[in-house]
Parts: sequence; C-alpha cells; structure tokens
Amino acid sequence: MAKLRVLFENGDPERIIEFDPSRAPFQHDGRAGSILDVLLANGIHLEHACGGNCACTTCHVIVKQGFTTLSEAEENELDLLDKAPGLTPISRLGCQAVIEDDVEITVLVPRFTINAA
Amino acid sequence: MSVTSTYVGTITRILERAPETRSFFLRLPPDQAFRFTPGQFISCPLPIGGESMIRPYSLASSPGEAELEICLNRVPGGHGTAYLFGLDVGATLRFTGPWGTFTLDQAPATECVFIADGTGIAPIRPMLRRALSGPGTHPVRLHYAAPSRAHLLYADELDAAARAHAHFTFYPLLNAPLAEEIKRRYVQEDQDRSRRFFICGVGDIVPQLRDLLRRAAYERRAVQYEKW
Repeated sequence: MAKLRVLFENGDPERIIEFDPSRAPFQHDGRAGSILDVLLANGIHLEHACGGNCACTTCHVIVKQGFTTLSEAEENELDLLDKAPGLTPISRLGCQAVIEDDVEITVLVPRFTINAA
Repeated sequence: MSVTSTYVGTITRILERAPETRSFFLRLPPDQAFRFTPGQFISCPLPIGGESMIRPYSLASSPGEAELEICLNRVPGGHGTAYLFGLDVGATLRFTGPWGTFTLDQAPATECVFIADGTGIAPIRPMLRRALSGPGTHPVRLHYAAPSRAHLLYADELDAAARAHAHFTFYPLLNAPLAEEIKRRYVQEDQDRSRRFFICGVGDIVPQLRDLLRRAAYERRAVQYEKW
C-alpha cells in the first residue's frame, strides 16, 4: 500500500490516504494514479481547471516527501510549472505526478491557485 | 481553494461552423464583466452521469466582445461535447475562469508564427487578432491544418485579415502533413531563430511540433503551445 499525506496551507486538517497504486485509476480526471486522481477519489478537492489535462497550473502541489519516487515530469508539465505562482524546486502538477509504487508521499496544497498569465 | 468566481452564461446563439463543429455564444448578466487575455479558456463543471465533470473550453472570441464564444467539435464518446451538443439557445452554462497561460497580450516585437490544427484555431483566433492590432512592423503568419476546406473554421475571416494586413499571411493546409510544412519553412529554409511560435491542437502533433522547433535551436520560451 502507498501512503499519501496531504497538508493544506490554508490550515485545514491534514489527511492521510492509504491506497493500492496498482488499482488506479480511481476516478476520471488526471493521469491514472496521479496525486489528483487519489485526492479526488478520496473526497479531497484539488483545483483542476483544465480537467486534469496538463493545460494549466491549478493543481500545483509541493511535494515535501517522496519527490524522487514520483513519475518523472515530462516537458509539458515542466513548461507549465515554469509559469506556476509560488514555484519551488519540489513542485509538481497533481494531475501528472503519478505515485507508482508502495511509497510514502507528503504534499502541501498551496493556499491559492492563481493561474492568470 | 480558488480565488476565481463562478459565472453563469446564457447561450444566445449556436452556430454550426463545420461538420460536427459548433460555436456556442454565451452572454453574462449585464452587471457582470469577464476579463481575459487572448488564448485563455473557461472551465465548465458539467452535470454528467449524476456528478460534476470539469471540461475546459478555449475562448474563440476576443476580450471586450458582448458575447463569449467557445468552439468545439463533437468528440466520439466524449461526455462533455455530448452534453453541450444537447443544449439549446436559452440554456445556461456555469463556468470559472479565465484560466491558462497560453496567451498573447500584445504583438511580439519579432516575426510571429501561429500554428493551429483543427479546433486548435479557437484560442489562436483572439491571439491573432491581438497580434494584428499593433502597428504591424513584423511578419505574422498562420498555418492552419484541417481535413478539408469545409473544416477550416473562420476561413472567410482569415482570408479577409490576410487581405487587410500586408504583414499577415494565411497558409491553410488541407489534408497535408503539418509537421513537414513547418520543418521545411522554419527549420530547413533559413537560419533565422528569432521567431516566436504559438501552437495549438489536439493530440501528439503539438509536442511533435514543439520538439521539432526546440531541437532546431529556437529558444524554449519562444515556442509556446497548448495541447488538448
């Protein structure tokens, strides 16, 4: 089982989700097994204005633990992250970063998603 | 959490622009203004199958117009387009936005090449209009690929723009390989790498063009794209 710990910059209480990555997808938006996929399936709202199609930055999360265990970012995601407000070296798009193995991941959901150019 | 408001637009017109391709014109209540930058999209939470499914639609209209226009083709098996194609004039559509960073706020001070594949013309249209609204000192080009003349959206308008602006050239590409055309013209024909590109389309053609241009020594940020 993988473990995803979710912290919220807005002060909402943290959530811990345990799941089996091999059973992805868990719902219909974002890549199968992505952070977005897991969060939405567990009733946790994460913005995804483009429907999880890697065309905006509203699902931006900061990966506090397990960054290197996630699927590698592709060029489209890197180009979008380049424009994300509050970008950090451990930023990912929730719709693209896939939890592939039984690992422990901690993500921080930023307070606001502002996606104007 | 989002800082974006939700809007409710009323469909005032539906226009069949090409086979299985429609424009929906949305009007907001008079007290509501919707500001966006050419190239951006709106995000529609559509009530499908008892739940809310988010679908993004590029704005094909320009900022300041009385109505917002989205233009889309029916996707086989697509829940979002099936829902929208079932709506009539007078129906309402909830949306948030504007979203997206594939934008053009003012004409670049260099040659500007737009590349659209199919309905990828939707966000390009207001970007092109904005590019042509400047003094026109640099060439502006549009390569627009479609299966046939009937599928070429806004064709008359684009032809008219080409007649009206000496520095604008419109290259419709009907049922021909887009990547080969772009490679020949912008990779093989000269060594000028100062151009800026704006590419939009559906599927693999978009990253294919991106990689083609970036590997040919165009600067990464000079090649902007949106892949649907």
